[in-house]
Amino acid sequence: MLAYIVRRVWQMVPTLFGVMLLLFVLFNWVGGDPSYILAGKNLSAEALAGIRQQLGLDLPLPQQFLIFVRQVLTLDFGTSWSTQQPVSALLHSRIGPSLLLTGSMLLLGTVLAIAIAALVAYRRGSLTDRLVTLIATCAMSVSALVYIIAGQYWLAFKGGWFPIMGWSDSTLDNLLHYLPLPLLLGVIVGLAPDIRFYRSCFVEELGHDYVRTARAKGLSEPVIMLKHVLRNAMIPVVTSLMMSLPYLMMGAMLLETFFGIPGMGKEVVMAVERSDFPVIKAITIYIALATMLFNLLTDIVYKLIDPRVQLH
Amino acid sequence: MNPHALLATVAALVLLPAQAADMNKVLRVALNAPETGFDPAKVSDLYSSTVTENIFDPLVTYDYLARPAKLIPNTVSALPSISADGKVYTFRLKPGIFFAADPAFKGKKRELTAADYAYSIKRHLDPGIHSPWSFLVDGRFVGGNELVKAAGKGALNYDAPLEGIKVLDKYTLQLTLTETNFNFLPILAMPAFGAVAREVIKAHRDNTNAHPVGTGPYLLKEWKPGSRIVLEANPGFRKLVFNATPGSDPLDKAVVQALQGKTLPQVGRIEISVIEEEQPLWLSFLNRQLDISGIPQVALQSALVIDPKNPLKVRLAESYARQGIQLQRQLLPEITFHFFNMQDPVVGGDSKDKIALRRAIAMSFPVSEAIASIRRGQAVPMNYIVPPGVAGHNPAFRGAPKYDPAAANALLDRFGYRVGADGYRTRPDGKPLAIELACGTSSTDKQWNEYWQKTFDTLKIRLGFRQGKWNELSKANHQGKLQMWGMAWGADYPDGENFMQLLYGRNAGDSNAADFKNADYDRLFEASLKLPHGPQRNQLYDAMNKIAVAQQPWIFGDIRMRSTLAHSYVKGLKLHPLLNTSWRYLDLQK
Repeated sequence: MLAYIVRRVWQMVPTLFGVMLLLFVLFNWVGGDPSYILAGKNLSAEALAGIRQQLGLDLPLPQQFLIFVRQVLTLDFGTSWSTQQPVSALLHSRIGPSLLLTGSMLLLGTVLAIAIAALVAYRRGSLTDRLVTLIATCAMSVSALVYIIAGQYWLAFKGGWFPIMGWSDSTLDNLLHYLPLPLLLGVIVGLAPDIRFYRSCFVEELGHDYVRTARAKGLSEPVIMLKHVLRNAMIPVVTSLMMSLPYLMMGAMLLETFFGIPGMGKEVVMAVERSDFPVIKAITIYIALATMLFNLLTDIVYKLIDPRVQLH
Repeated sequence: MNPHALLATVAALVLLPAQAADMNKVLRVALNAPETGFDPAKVSDLYSSTVTENIFDPLVTYDYLARPAKLIPNTVSALPSISADGKVYTFRLKPGIFFAADPAFKGKKRELTAADYAYSIKRHLDPGIHSPWSFLVDGRFVGGNELVKAAGKGALNYDAPLEGIKVLDKYTLQLTLTETNFNFLPILAMPAFGAVAREVIKAHRDNTNAHPVGTGPYLLKEWKPGSRIVLEANPGFRKLVFNATPGSDPLDKAVVQALQGKTLPQVGRIEISVIEEEQPLWLSFLNRQLDISGIPQVALQSALVIDPKNPLKVRLAESYARQGIQLQRQLLPEITFHFFNMQDPVVGGDSKDKIALRRAIAMSFPVSEAIASIRRGQAVPMNYIVPPGVAGHNPAFRGAPKYDPAAANALLDRFGYRVGADGYRTRPDGKPLAIELACGTSSTDKQWNEYWQKTFDTLKIRLGFRQGKWNELSKANHQGKLQMWGMAWGADYPDGENFMQLLYGRNAGDSNAADFKNADYDRLFEASLKLPHGPQRNQLYDAMNKIAVAQQPWIFGDIRMRSTLAHSYVKGLKLHPLLNTSWRYLDLQK
């Protein structure tokens, strides 16, 4: 196992290098020139050249790339080009609200989706199953924006059950007041596709011989579902979950924008709009690192769930 | 309104710090785009300036009630004396004005002096800062160019003597300009020219955007970039008592009634949220989570009862009026226009056929129809380079050509733009005629594009759209790769020069995005710089507008109307054309 982990970590180095190269090429190709944003109304050639010099954009590209490599090695991405705030401080202040929102959404959404999926899979072909599948299919075809706009209007404005938007410095205050509505809407948006996916995992497992054998042995249905089917259906579920974990850091851009949550989603959009390369670099590298680490973790969890899995 | 009737919006100043603000009064407002920071020499966006305006004090400011906007002393005892040749401005500061507390002052009270203004103005010249406002001061001060040249690409030597920015004594500042300019004062009223303390800038040199310390009514309490800004009343703010005589505007009476005799500011805390989406902004206002708000485009129809015959004649919808919500409206001191790249071989140049092509396009664009549809009628067509409310505007001038597609087609026929077998026109030399219009990617841009497509279809000219982010398109324009693009220009200061310079040849490739070069225009512009605002300068402006109309480097667009709502308990609100906010004048009586 240790040798496997060391090998996988070693393989991350060229992957990360590839990500860096791709990001660097993309930024320089289509990322836009930030000096035109920073110059404001002063677009004289001298002003633009001065800003480019200050940002290091006048350096030869290989030298700029080497600076990027050094930033990745030290995980110090300097300061934001647009606000001049340290990138680490910006991300540090943004990651908490994002994780609180997306983490809660993932947790609640997964529990609900697995429970509903297991129920309808168990009652496969019944009216409940067909109804849930139909509702899920319809729900998936509606844009997330519609849920957010309608939810905010009806539940917060008309119903008065939630604040329209806002965020506090107190986690408790956020959990009690500001998080519930975006969380609810986020869960609703993600629930339908998750139910359909998990249902298919359960249905596939329910059709296996070991389920029939367990029933023949007289095991109760709850035991069959929870002890045998659930465990075996977990491999695709865990894959899906683990793959989504790195993206929790990215936040939920629409929810954050509509509900005034100072998270990473808003920061990403702002950074792209302003061609703020230090922030874009930092977020991309952290997401890439997290993706690679969670991929490795997923493989290890496979082994823990199903001892038959061999790691090579 | 007669400005003289309002002469007496005078703030009585007794220079003793007196915290009058009630810290329980919290004003909640929103910015609809993220700010970038609060160093006045580094930021130029409206949203950041909205905040810096309340933290820093420029030498002069605007009378809150007087219209048209009128400059009054701010930290100076009187408006500066200006030499007869319009070159030397001498300011006398009021003693006893102090900066807000900061560790850089080592526990001592730090008085505002003339040296602070000298330092703050020089920062805009500093090549190491790259001030977005440097174009307002470059080459303006005697000796300034030499000082900047000596700095090279490094930092400016702030201690080197500079004839153009001289501290005569602790409270006296003298600015000496290289050229006669009677209209320089409004520049110094901009938030960008508020005073900073050198030791604060030095102490926080790596992050001056996050450490604004000024002498203004508020100080920065909390900043979460792009999300939330909290200002609190500056406990050391000088005693400023509102004492004004109302003018003929009925609003003045209400403001005076609410504020007369009160020490400013009244509101102790201002919570500013960045809300970019229209729905949460609007619902937050209706739900009283915000006290003041603009009206989002989508809510215009429901919030306002618009007279279909005159869309600018509006009243608040009954349901909102019943709640006591206040509506205030104001034509923005700005212009929007589409420019042609005057160096482009197809649309540029001053030959008659090129002028005819540009004129035909201008004649075929339905500005009024687009205003009615896209702006919901909340704008007026632009007819003069200087907008209303800005010194030098001529309301009688009609610069936009009459909408007449038939005449436009006839004009193109006459100058050899013939319709080919494919149904599209060719150039007079027989080459294919296709024009590319640069545009943004928003839904509003797409709405405008529909009208442009209609315009070009009417003229039987092929049109392509080049979509991109603003900075990408700006770069392409600098490289001469664009043919047409739309822009807006808001007044940095209320003087026509700020607008007329947009077609000045020496600004080509900079603020003159059309790259328009016309010797007559340049000569008139240079002559206008030497004149104070008045009939003589207006004549020159008219002549320059005529050149712009004749050469058609721009298609005149529109001037937007701003509608602002406030809840009934917000007292003292009067929109100002140049002050970004009214916060220091507001009171909340819930």
